[in-house]
Amino acid sequence: MRVVGLLGLVASVAVLVVGSPTGPGGDRSLEEARSFEEFPLYFAGDEVDGLSLAAVLRRDEGADYVSFVYGECSPTSDSGCAPPAEVQVWPADMRYAGSYDASAGAPSVELTRIRGRPAAFVGDGMQLELYTEESTIVVFADTRQRLLTIATALRCLGRDHDGPREERLGCRR
Amino acid sequence: MLQVRPYARGVSRLLGVAAVLASASLLLATSAPAHFDTAGRFTHVACPGSPATRSDPVNVVFHHWGTWGRAESQLVAHTGWAAASGTTQHFLDHGGCFPQHTQRASGEGSRFHVRIRGQHWDGGLGWAAAAAAHHEDLVLFPFPCGHAVDANGAEGSGFDQGRDELEARFRDAGHETSRVWWGNTQSIRQCDGDYAASDGWTLLVRLHQVNH
Repeated sequence: MRVVGLLGLVASVAVLVVGSPTGPGGDRSLEEARSFEEFPLYFAGDEVDGLSLAAVLRRDEGADYVSFVYGECSPTSDSGCAPPAEVQVWPADMRYAGSYDASAGAPSVELTRIRGRPAAFVGDGMQLELYTEESTIVVFADTRQRLLTIATALRCLGRDHDGPREERLGCRR
Repeated sequence: MLQVRPYARGVSRLLGVAAVLASASLLLATSAPAHFDTAGRFTHVACPGSPATRSDPVNVVFHHWGTWGRAESQLVAHTGWAAASGTTQHFLDHGGCFPQHTQRASGEGSRFHVRIRGQHWDGGLGWAAAAAAHHEDLVLFPFPCGHAVDANGAEGSGFDQGRDELEARFRDAGHETSRVWWGNTQSIRQCDGDYAASDGWTLLVRLHQVNH
């Protein structure tokens, strides 16, 4: 009986430490992200390309974005790991195509258009940035196909309801 | 007198053209990659490197006399980071994947830690080495997991803290420093369950030819 009680206690502590099994982890809930008003947010839904929304993160020191992490990875001591996909949304005046210059040591940028918006593949091409009037959407993924799948799935994260997926990206606060 | 037959002249021409083509291809092969490769802006836990094996953002570049040996020597001189423990990570360069050349840390517990690899010579940067710096905590509770880079916070992530520390140490020692936007802000999950990310700015540090 004592053993069962101890196991229950350990399980409870583990849930508290690791996070609730019923929602995404991170330092923000999806509901908190829905009420975010500083700049329009986009995400790829609760699940995209077989990956569940694993965490919602807010960073406002040094950088300014809301992040939606999709899928899990397995870090080890001394070596972190990159989740299979992530959508970061930045204010457009903080991050834009012109942020990348052509000076020595700057990464290469391949300009394109996606869903009616200027866009760019950066570096090795596994980072896609889409530029809207008020927000810049940065997508990281482990394959080019997954990048494009996520770009296709992007929609507005709204206060009352998530917006329908529209061909031309454009959300309002 | 040597007489050259028509077919022999044809062979000579072919050999000549082949030699020119071979020289041209050799020139192209050696000159095309003559730049610092910024395609891979992360270290990798294993080779071949892919987005699935990304680990730490590259956030420091030592340049001009930035061979990995000079980077290590001048870093130890300005920081005193003498510890050399840590796992091996890998860097990408012109389509290849290679293990780090060296690593230095400020201790064995919670510490600053940097991994370094000498990269290809660049027409603008000269000899250059890529580095991934961070501050990491030794996490023992609630479960012992080892070193985990500090999560994003008021002082920046552990990646930003490591870069900022190197910037201050080298600048105070008289080295020219600047920053370039790399945008490698992908969140990296740590063994304590937290996420850490670079703020996207990479530090450039100009090194001396002569070590300290």
